[in-house]
Amino acid sequence: MLRMIAGLELPTKGDILIDDHVVTRLQPKDRNIAMVFQNYALYPHMTIFENIAFPLRVRGLKSKDIVEKVRWATSLVKIDHLLDRKPREASGGERQRTALARSLVRDPSVFLLDEPLSNLDAKLRNSARDELRQFQERVGVTSIYVTHDQTEAMALGDRIVVLDKGCIRQVGSPEEIYGQPADTFVASFMGAPPMNLFKTDRMTIGFRPENFLPEESFQDKDELMVLPFRPQRDEYLGDERLFYGDTEAPLPAARVVARVSISLHVLITLKEWTNFAVRRSDLRFFDTASGLALPSSAETPQSQVGWESYV
Amino acid sequence: MSESPAALRGDRSIAYLALLPSAVLLMLLVAVPTFTVIMISMQDVGIGELSGRFVGLDNYVWVLTHPSFYQALVNTLIWVFGCVSLDMFIGLGIALLLNQSFTLRGIARAVALAPYLIPTIVAVLVWRYMFHDIVGVLNYLLMKIGVIEHSLLWLNSPGTAMLSVILVGTWKFFPFVVLALLGILQSIPQEQYESARIDGASAIQQFRLITLPYLMPIFLLTAMLRTIWTFHKFDIIYLLTGGGPLNATTTLPIFVYQKAFIDFETGRATATAIVISLILAAMLGVYFVLIRRAEKRQ
Repeated sequence: MLRMIAGLELPTKGDILIDDHVVTRLQPKDRNIAMVFQNYALYPHMTIFENIAFPLRVRGLKSKDIVEKVRWATSLVKIDHLLDRKPREASGGERQRTALARSLVRDPSVFLLDEPLSNLDAKLRNSARDELRQFQERVGVTSIYVTHDQTEAMALGDRIVVLDKGCIRQVGSPEEIYGQPADTFVASFMGAPPMNLFKTDRMTIGFRPENFLPEESFQDKDELMVLPFRPQRDEYLGDERLFYGDTEAPLPAARVVARVSISLHVLITLKEWTNFAVRRSDLRFFDTASGLALPSSAETPQSQVGWESYV
Repeated sequence: MSESPAALRGDRSIAYLALLPSAVLLMLLVAVPTFTVIMISMQDVGIGELSGRFVGLDNYVWVLTHPSFYQALVNTLIWVFGCVSLDMFIGLGIALLLNQSFTLRGIARAVALAPYLIPTIVAVLVWRYMFHDIVGVLNYLLMKIGVIEHSLLWLNSPGTAMLSVILVGTWKFFPFVVLALLGILQSIPQEQYESARIDGASAIQQFRLITLPYLMPIFLLTAMLRTIWTFHKFDIIYLLTGGGPLNATTTLPIFVYQKAFIDFETGRATATAIVISLILAAMLGVYFVLIRRAEKRQ
């Protein structure tokens, strides 16, 4: 997808538009795009300064203008002090910023980012994510960011496109993607742990692990669907506890996950049946055959009445 | 560490002991022959003798004052420079070509390597047929397209003999250059070219700014190896022209051969050989400086 937008590959059909211009058959250099590659694609024999200056140099800019532009870009990503080093003498994070600065010097109309954080370790990834978002807001350029990490997509995206084997499953804000998944693929793909799904012949019912809590923790009991739950195993994560277990009627028996906040002081005993519950408004419904979402209970009252009859 | 010095000393002598066989072998294989050659080069050794009267540096003086040594030296430099520059130029071109993706690339790569695999004697016989003034295909084709008016005596006239042997030497060894450079070309990450294309670099800029810096150390190393081998090359020239006509293709190895096995002046031949080694060592020194500089840039 990114390679097609960048012009490195031709799409099988359809057109690519940037700023209302059809660029489908334009050369990469004529599209005014910048791309940050997964491995950054820095030139090992050039210093960081030369790397960043590369796009300007091949365009034949005067060296005075090049120096000025590189200084501007490096101050934005805070690597001014590294200009004389070679890429291999810089850390992963510094290389990533070098690649960003290199894409910045050309004032592109679109940024393409191909998993730029995947080569960083977990701790650095978090801070780099924050910096990346701040950087994007500062330069204010449309950016397309490809990632396999759902958390990254949720954290950085204004609009998320969920792709499965080259097909678009859903386009929407992080809230829409997480709260109203368009189908069972999106529902189980976004969120860790994924949405609990119960398959029946006609309908698949789902709810998020964090909405599945002991019945006693809810104030308003009218809105609830109560479900007996027997946790088999738990994972303590500091701020919360994940319970993996089984349920039984009224929904078909299935393996489910419950995510219980530590602040919710309730005693849950492993391998014993406890009544858990979900707010009816937190239930999501999908067509079992196609996997597509059905109107949720909150919007259509008749399905709210009717879901038990499907089971 | 709490190990006692005595124990350390014991370990060290065992280590030296373990090195001893290789050290002795190395001495026998390298030091003894070198020493023998140096000794012979200072003696007047004649036919069928292994040693002779000690003459000091007389043989060296003879070498350095003899005009045919300088003639052979000039011939050698032409031969080496001609072969290596053509090898490198053609090798680089074909390596770049074979690095592109096209149909039947695998076959093209195998074909390009063929000259390297053909035994020298076979290659020389085939080329002698092609150079032949009456039945040779080279004269026929060149006359057909009008480059020359009548048959040339490729190997038998002083004007073209050197050109002919350089042609065969280049043809025989350019695949080695292709092999070495192609390996490096394939290790350059494709993303670097893609990134450069997005940034607007032309094909020539991509070659100059990305490909060339990657290639440079191996390019120079290959050129150095080719220089050593070509300097010492004996068989191709000897089998094609025997050093003639009129010593036009007598390079230093052939000069040494003639001194040792035709004139039976072993002392002078070995003195020449040692002078050759010193010249070659000086040339390699230049290469090493260049290679180190190219590696530092990477």
